Amino acid sequence: MPVPTDESPASNPIDLSPLETAVLKVLRSRTGPVAEEEIPAASRLSPDEVRGSLQRLRSKRLVVVEEIHESTVRLTPRGETALSQGLPERRLLDALRSRREGIEGAMLEEERSAAIGILRRHGYLEPGMPLRLRPDAPPGEGELPLEATLRRIAQGTVPLDEGSIHLLERRGLVRIDHATRRRWAPSEAGVSWPIEEAGARIGPLTREMLVSGAWKSGSFRPYDVRAEVPFVSGARPHPYPAWIEEFEEILIGLGFEQAEGPLVETEFWNADVLFMPQDHPARSIHDVLYLTGVEGRLPEGRLFERVAAAHEGRPLPGSSAPLSLGWTQRYDTAVAKRPVLRSQTTAVSGRYLARAPEPPFRMYSIDRNFRFEAVDPSHHIEFGQCEGVLGQEGISVRHLIGIFQAMASALGVGEVRVRPSYFPFTEPSIEGYVKHPRLGWMEVFPGGLFRPEVLRPLGIDVPVAAWGIGITRLAMVALGCNDIRELFEDDLEVLREGRI
Amino acid sequence: MPQTTLSLSRVQAMLPEPLSPERWEQLLFASKAELVGIDGDTIQISATPDRLDLLSEGGLGLYVEGVLGSRTGLPRIHCRTGPGPAIEVAATVHPLRPEISGLIVHPPRGSRIDEGTLAEAIRFQELIHASVGRDRRKASLGLYAVDRIRFPLRYALEPMESVSFTPLDRNRQTSASEFFEEHPMAARYGALGRSGDECLVLRDAADSVASLPPILNGRESGEVRPGDRALLLESTGTSQRAVRESLQLLLVVFVARGWSVEPVRIEPASGATESREPVFSPREVTLRTSDLVGIAGDELTAPEIRRLARSCRMDARPIAGGWKISAPPWRIDLLGSVDVAEDLVLARGLGASPPLLPSSSTLGRRRPETIFRRRFSPILLGMGLSSLYTPVVVSEGAVARSERVAETLRLVNPPSQEFAALRSSLAISLLESLRHNVRHAYPQRISETGPVVIRSPKAESATETRYHLGFALAGDGIGFADAAALVDYLLRTVDVGGVREPAEIPATIPGRAARVRLAGEPIAEIGEFHPRVLEGAGIPVPVVWGELDLSALWPLVRPSGTV
Repeated sequence: MPVPTDESPASNPIDLSPLETAVLKVLRSRTGPVAEEEIPAASRLSPDEVRGSLQRLRSKRLVVVEEIHESTVRLTPRGETALSQGLPERRLLDALRSRREGIEGAMLEEERSAAIGILRRHGYLEPGMPLRLRPDAPPGEGELPLEATLRRIAQGTVPLDEGSIHLLERRGLVRIDHATRRRWAPSEAGVSWPIEEAGARIGPLTREMLVSGAWKSGSFRPYDVRAEVPFVSGARPHPYPAWIEEFEEILIGLGFEQAEGPLVETEFWNADVLFMPQDHPARSIHDVLYLTGVEGRLPEGRLFERVAAAHEGRPLPGSSAPLSLGWTQRYDTAVAKRPVLRSQTTAVSGRYLARAPEPPFRMYSIDRNFRFEAVDPSHHIEFGQCEGVLGQEGISVRHLIGIFQAMASALGVGEVRVRPSYFPFTEPSIEGYVKHPRLGWMEVFPGGLFRPEVLRPLGIDVPVAAWGIGITRLAMVALGCNDIRELFEDDLEVLREGRI
Repeated sequence: MPQTTLSLSRVQAMLPEPLSPERWEQLLFASKAELVGIDGDTIQISATPDRLDLLSEGGLGLYVEGVLGSRTGLPRIHCRTGPGPAIEVAATVHPLRPEISGLIVHPPRGSRIDEGTLAEAIRFQELIHASVGRDRRKASLGLYAVDRIRFPLRYALEPMESVSFTPLDRNRQTSASEFFEEHPMAARYGALGRSGDECLVLRDAADSVASLPPILNGRESGEVRPGDRALLLESTGTSQRAVRESLQLLLVVFVARGWSVEPVRIEPASGATESREPVFSPREVTLRTSDLVGIAGDELTAPEIRRLARSCRMDARPIAGGWKISAPPWRIDLLGSVDVAEDLVLARGLGASPPLLPSSSTLGRRRPETIFRRRFSPILLGMGLSSLYTPVVVSEGAVARSERVAETLRLVNPPSQEFAALRSSLAISLLESLRHNVRHAYPQRISETGPVVIRSPKAESATETRYHLGFALAGDGIGFADAAALVDYLLRTVDVGGVREPAEIPATIPGRAARVRLAGEPIAEIGEFHPRVLEGAGIPVPVVWGELDLSALWPLVRPSGTV
């Protein structure tokens, strides 16, 4: 509400608006209370302006009001008829006395029954039908009960009998109008409130005042700073990418440089180069999204021959011993060439390592990946991963855990617990858990050391630690959202108000 | 992760004392298995796909024995000597399902197979089919009571009309053709075991059908019951390695209970016996000490290495530069040195030595191109455009509404109608977002900077991921000039000015669309959406749109020397 509550003290230094000032002046110029309806003329304001100003002055406790509740009784048109022609019971009685017939039919049904009831109650009629006057009925000139009241109302004579008025009202012969009249007077505080001349205090500041310097000679009318103001909202950064940028700072602080790869990759980059067997279950159409109508090709150079050798368990070209048993199945280049939507950011690591970075190197990539998923609150076809690799002579699983701990402490999630895991491209493979205050232990850091079958074909001969953090899930926890779809929210009101 | 339910008492029977659920949880936390729950006599566990052996009672028991130290080293496999009985392989099984291997397992003297072991073997067999067997395609197993078959067995492709048998789960003799037509197992796996009118058959010497690989055993000679003695374990498949490894995994069930093994000869039609390493031979792997030390990040002494290997149920013999490791045959995950090193590092405990931070210092930074792309976001926000982040995979409906049906790439296997195509332009996503916001007040001003995917026949993946900046302005009185002005301004913020030329752009009003070029290269598109498009999207106000191709713009504006 634009006005302070009644509890606010009258001494509150809230100034008066010009309208309020005008109204208060009128009240102070009279002796005794002023009827509300007189104020518009006296103040030259509209009745609405007067009413609003009075309410505000009242809540500021500068005026007092006296309320007078009045009721006026008036005859209705039927009442007027009853006055001139007689009440229905009088007309019925007269008809019976003069043995006139047809009077009953000339009366309204309700008047007729009321008339019969009244005549019976007062001992004019014999019981039963047809209607007959009792021999001992009161004499003809005797007054019926409501006749006097009706007359007094018409004459404006007071006092009136309350009970009779209500009976007449019920019979629709009179109407009672209730009204409240307000009379206003300044309160004690209102009498002494300093009223300044209109125009002496500055309301909205205008260009003219500034240009002319008029503001220098006036004082500023303070505003009701608690009054309601218009509702505005505006554009703000989308919370999900904004959070990702914050997360990036952690990695940049730890000396990681960003890398990026295409969203559509051949299976060679998405899986083969990562030593995932070509018939690995996670490469099926139930996991990976394939594209229609496009055909890819093998990478430039001889890299694919080296990857094929690692898969088939053969020595790499120019080498005498195989890296390992491999998958002892024929490496299929038709599979390698198929374009798919990237299913893991590890594909970016493969491309990064293929560019033969100079050790020591640290790389991160936070990006979208895609999997065949039915979308529900915890699954989406698109999900984010934060990939990281760290290559340097002497890197061990201890460094991998050390980096996990550094990231966890930068995230403010405390201790990391690690346990064994499995990924086709790392050996060892581990998983780091952190404790969330509400959700308990969460798998956050899956990673490992890249296998020789990944590194050697790429020409890397230092150990490389790698991980792929499920950034979407982490973002959901950080942003407090329970439905993954909220991360893709495009409702403008939600975005403007930051309700993700 | 694969998951299974095991009998707790059968695992506990192998251990020196029963373990509390808390101890189980703690013990498995350090393993590749994970405790899902214990309920009465059932223990539910999952395991990473490289350690399926932990999903059998025998395999889990052997692992825990090693961790507790109650039994360590390579589990002893008692072998019967001699060439063993034979399976003859007809040339006709090529190329449908050419690989077969087998072995016989004998219970300890005086005992027979009990219900528990049989149940374990059958349950584990199904798990192997689903994983190593790739749903029976690469390999599938069969179990037979040796007492009810007569060697030599013969594996061949036979005309269906000559084959009749009683399927394991039926009481009535049926012809192969009827079986392939009617039986649910044939409906599921039939294609793997037939070729035209012929099907794969494994028969014994008395001509009884032991099984129709890889579908179902016959009842007469292919049923195993509690109380049976020696069992034939056989595997057929398309991959010799998967065939052997499926048998090696199944073997753990029997070896853990002290069963002995006997080889089975595989005799190809050529007459020559294939000489292969028996499937039950230990897996020999060389462990390079440098791999172990490198992974662990710590020096390990020779006795420590030997002790760790033994706790992993392996034996280790020192050789030059490393160790000769003998591991159980079911450790099919051991491809080379690093796999053994991982096992030993895990056995030592991941917390055995404190974590380290790498000693080197490297320069952390974003790619200059990323920084370039992100420069525009605060400008757009400042101009009151809300920032969006929407999926790259869009619905077929969205593609149609934005009239970009021809250029858009589709998924072979869309998981739903909602996610079926790759956006080639941010116009698709922006129009969808406006469609979702029609109940809110106008004007609406939105933008997104993000990837689109377009066809690019010369690229390795025949596609190209490009980064665009798109915006849309919707509201009464909004027109082409508003979009063009904004594009001009955005270009001025990177110190360039493009040249607008008329263009035909999908979904726009003819004559109210432009392409912007810089140094001859197209770098942006601008247009006013056609009322037909707005009507289709249910948008009640005019909409203009602009889209900068940041991937095209970057090479034109980047400072020399940046990559």
